[in-house]
Amino acid sequence: MAPPPAPPQKSPSPSQPSGKSEVSDLKLQLRQLAGSRAPGADDSKRDLFKRVISYMTVGIDVSAAFSEMVMCSATSDIVLKKMCYLYVGNYARCHPDLALLTINFLQKDCHDEDPMIRGLALRSLCSLRVPNLVEYLVAPLGSGLKDGSSYVRMVAAVGVLKLYHISAATCLDSDFPAVLKSLMLTDPDAQVVANCLFVLQEIWNLEANKSEEASRERETLLSKKLVYYLLNRIKEFNEWAQCLVLELVAKYIPSDTDDIFDIMNLLEDRLQHANGAVVLATIKVFLHLTMSMNDVHQQVYERIKAPLLTLVGSGSSEQSYAVLSHLHLLVMRAPMLFSSDYKHFYCQFSDPSYVKKLKLEMLTAIANESNTYEIVTELCEYAGNVDVPIARESIRAVGKIALQQYDVNAIVDRLLQFLEMEKDYVTAETLVLVKDLLRKYPQWSHDCIAVVGNISSKNVQEPKAKASLIWMLGEYSQDMPDAPYILESLIENWDEENAAEVRLHLLTAAMKCFFKRPPETQKALGAALAAGLADSHQDVHDRALFYYRLLQYDVSVAERVVNPPKQAVSVFADTQSSEIKDRIFDEFNSLSVVYQKPSYMFTDKEHREPFEFSEEIGNLSLGQESVGNAPRYAESDKDLLLSTSEREENGGPSTNGPAASGYSAPTDYNSSLVSLSSQTQSETAISDPGMPKYTSQMTLAIDDLLGLSVPAAPAPPSLKLNPKAALDPGTFQRKWGQLAVSISQDCSVSPQGIAALTTPQALIRHMQASSIQCIASGGQSPTFKFFFFAQKLDGPPLFFLVECIVNTSSAKAQVKIKADDATASEAFFGLFQSALSKFGVL
Amino acid sequence: MPVAASAIYFLNLRGDVLINRLYRDDVGGNMVDAFRMHIMQTKELGTCPVRQIGGCSFLYMRISNVYIVIVVSKNANVACAFKFVVEAVALFKSYFGGAFDEDAIRNNFVLIYELLDEIMDFGYPQNLAPEILKLYITQEGVRSPFSSKPSDKPVPNATLQVTGAVGWRREGLVYKKNEVFLDIVESVNLLMSSKGSVLRCDVTGKILMKCFLSGMPDLKLGLNDKIGLENESQLKSRPIKSGKTIELDDVTFHQCVNLTRFNSEKTVSFVPPDGEFELMKYRITEGVNLPFRVLPKLGRTRMEVKSVFGAKMFALGVVVKVPVPKQTAKTSFQVTSGRAKYNASIDCLVWKIRKFSGQTESTMSAEVELISTMAEKKLGTRPPIQMEFQVWEKSGYNTVEWVRYITKAGSYEIRC
Repeated sequence: MAPPPAPPQKSPSPSQPSGKSEVSDLKLQLRQLAGSRAPGADDSKRDLFKRVISYMTVGIDVSAAFSEMVMCSATSDIVLKKMCYLYVGNYARCHPDLALLTINFLQKDCHDEDPMIRGLALRSLCSLRVPNLVEYLVAPLGSGLKDGSSYVRMVAAVGVLKLYHISAATCLDSDFPAVLKSLMLTDPDAQVVANCLFVLQEIWNLEANKSEEASRERETLLSKKLVYYLLNRIKEFNEWAQCLVLELVAKYIPSDTDDIFDIMNLLEDRLQHANGAVVLATIKVFLHLTMSMNDVHQQVYERIKAPLLTLVGSGSSEQSYAVLSHLHLLVMRAPMLFSSDYKHFYCQFSDPSYVKKLKLEMLTAIANESNTYEIVTELCEYAGNVDVPIARESIRAVGKIALQQYDVNAIVDRLLQFLEMEKDYVTAETLVLVKDLLRKYPQWSHDCIAVVGNISSKNVQEPKAKASLIWMLGEYSQDMPDAPYILESLIENWDEENAAEVRLHLLTAAMKCFFKRPPETQKALGAALAAGLADSHQDVHDRALFYYRLLQYDVSVAERVVNPPKQAVSVFADTQSSEIKDRIFDEFNSLSVVYQKPSYMFTDKEHREPFEFSEEIGNLSLGQESVGNAPRYAESDKDLLLSTSEREENGGPSTNGPAASGYSAPTDYNSSLVSLSSQTQSETAISDPGMPKYTSQMTLAIDDLLGLSVPAAPAPPSLKLNPKAALDPGTFQRKWGQLAVSISQDCSVSPQGIAALTTPQALIRHMQASSIQCIASGGQSPTFKFFFFAQKLDGPPLFFLVECIVNTSSAKAQVKIKADDATASEAFFGLFQSALSKFGVL
Repeated sequence: MPVAASAIYFLNLRGDVLINRLYRDDVGGNMVDAFRMHIMQTKELGTCPVRQIGGCSFLYMRISNVYIVIVVSKNANVACAFKFVVEAVALFKSYFGGAFDEDAIRNNFVLIYELLDEIMDFGYPQNLAPEILKLYITQEGVRSPFSSKPSDKPVPNATLQVTGAVGWRREGLVYKKNEVFLDIVESVNLLMSSKGSVLRCDVTGKILMKCFLSGMPDLKLGLNDKIGLENESQLKSRPIKSGKTIELDDVTFHQCVNLTRFNSEKTVSFVPPDGEFELMKYRITEGVNLPFRVLPKLGRTRMEVKSVFGAKMFALGVVVKVPVPKQTAKTSFQVTSGRAKYNASIDCLVWKIRKFSGQTESTMSAEVELISTMAEKKLGTRPPIQMEFQVWEKSGYNTVEWVRYITKAGSYEIRC
């Protein structure tokens, strides 16, 4: 350790202690004082001790004075004792032989008549951390746990844990856990109880893998009896101990709903506690207890909103940061709930950037039809922020909201205004966004291209932005008169372009442009291919070679590969699986939420390194998969995954990969399916007349693969439903009478679904999300009856009619399906069943 | 498991260790080097208060010129850890008499070590209540409450209090004159757009009490709020603001308040700690009256500040900070009241008005000349105008127990 330059104390000591001479000087002085009983001796000892401790603090090794310190420790002055204990605790581990010297006086102090000294001595004795002195610990600990003073018992309880970490066997053999258990249940002092609790928790958690008995003991810590015992005493505990108890209760599995409500009633007032940590811990209990009860769970969100917003505003910005991280997690799960509170997340000028960043993410997550205008207006304010990273973040946020599909019209205008601000970083960020936007909403190409065409490529330096610009030049070359010439000048400067990403895009864009405007591009394409073939970067070289051979083989095939009709991307890949999100939610109120990854990813030593590695493998296999299916298309458009990699950069190397992403486009697979199909429709309607109409199922499959290529996601079924299907009751009745039952089957409903089905409305809303509308419903627990209908998206208006009788006591649903087109009813049943099975599962 | 801090460090701005306390062995001794290397000496500093380096998480805060760093190796409870640091600093302040900075730490490092020993054991927070700790750890040295030697002040039943439940008040207090002081301090937070519309406005209020009462008094305080902490079923049907009642969005209380009774009877009842403490905090977003209106753009060079509170009241220490560009070369200004000054270090015109009466207005006209720069770059958007003030109001209570009502600026920002 490098010794810090400054002496830690403004004492009259000569100068910077150089080490040896100072220590030997101290030793000498201590020795002189050791036996002295002269008046004032204690004061001079204090000064000397202070100097020793201050040297120790700055990292100077003063262990040489060990024996002198011990000699001087025979004193009744408690401050001296404490300093001596601190010193001993610090050096005992590296000088076990010397530590033996202290055992004697510590043991003696353990029998002092003053409980304070008994406690202190016991604490120091346990803090020596010398394995071969363990035998001296057992007796004082045993009597400490039985001490008449609660202070000593409190210290002794923690002492047991310290002993366990030095020598687990000694601790268990002496049967200390059993003593602690009985103390925990009987001790009148709340702090003793709390200390026993965490000691037992830690011991049994570590032991649980080794013995069955330990894991049983761990279970009993979560037994109803113990949990209620602690809850009934909760007001006696201090705020920190309350956090401890609440943490335990959050893990408790309630036996029935009464149990849940009892606990919540008991803890309701904890939400008013002045200590934010207690409030957060209570929130965790509420959220976890009500997981199985959808309605109550939603009410809990309502209830905790105000306390959470209070916590954000009070306390230091570090505390706000911790709370905001949790709010962010909740907002991702229930964006609607916070959508009216969006003003709370407006950034103050004085907020530190880490708070601003979270607030931006929050604003992005809660944007919906009702508040998008205000939120985007606010975000635009930040685009000119002095803090450049925040300005960038806010532009990205605007883009993300645009991709969420709300009020795109107004947002596109604002994005285009950003381009007129003529700030390099604003332009760069905006270009990337405009590119993504065009891939989702090709219908805006006209407006965007007009503005993008005016940007001089010389002003764009960032590789990502440059690549985006080039992509647009290639993709929309027919609309940009200058496109071939801009590309040509970029190709001329091929050698000065450092980023391989840009060169790859340049090749592809030249190809695309060539097929649209052959005479103007031919020369540039030739130059690009030549430069590409000579390129030292493997990918660039390979791509150039591939294009070259493809053109040689058959120009029309090449055109089909490079310029296939494209379908709009509906959902950008969400990189965080819902399983991981659930795990983070399980670990509410911990670092996992701040890091946005489950704890095993950052605490397990085995996991940390290999994780990054396996991530790479994951990416590799993903690439291979796409290559197998659609070789060139996948590569030329591989920036589909760009939105992921942007995030990765921010997170640094350790947060590489899917798990790091905190943003998410909707992951609900059903809803993404729906938006995909609705997009398809609009795209067909507006698609460029110059492009061949696409009908190929193949393209669709490729796009699905790219757009939704989360490896874990199941392949989407081919049937798509119209999200805005409409049918009036009369027609429904007529059809129901006319059609024959095509499928009649029972399917099971998940227990969570049954729990959530307290009213018919819950299921109706849920099915709506999957584009299955309800026309009539009724019944009471345990039997509910629903009539649903859905409409096939493409082609003639074909309806599916469903009668669904759910019995909550048997957890079964009887489904009867009638369809205009009976052949599709099997596929529809699959959709219906998968939608039903997701009900209640958050 | 709540925070299991493995170590806590106090560093000065250069990164020198002022205090270190290792609670557990699961982190190495070189943690502070890691912090210096990877956080303090990089641009990372201040970008995020939680960072992971090599399997350990560093949670750090800067308080005046000191960094306090908590190192944990497990999945700790972040909120609890930060709260712990804040409370610990409050505790140290109450020992040092207010200040917490590098010098205070250097001068009191033995005391801090003692306190660190008591407030956290093996990484778990223990007792941080200053009222209790002061019973047996004093500035002069440790005084054992159990001491058999006759001390100047006998402390009855301290054993219970060191660890016990009624941690905030000791028994046997006697005052000749029983006094209670009540301060209501409201901070107004405002965010106003350049067009003059209120983007966001809320008030965070605190009720601060100072009690000098004998025995174990049970106090009650009535509030004319409407929060009513509805049952879950009634949550959506919040009563609409009416008449005299004020709708509080949320309230939190000091641990001494009997929360069960608040929920059932709507009175704040409590056994107060001795001396000063924060009884409750509340938040209001509906129906906030702004004490000042700022009109940033009257013509090209003029701005106006209007006070809109009662004519008999007045505001003290009004400061208006008007941002000016970094390249400012020369400023000229005129004000109708108070004094203005150009402060180059914060790039602001600072306009101070010592006393600002209600229902009045002041204006400032100012012009700045800029250094001509080579690059003709567009100016970025400017930071907002910021305002500070304190509005005082004295209640008509009698002299023994009295209530003071202060409204001050929290974060009062007007974009321009």
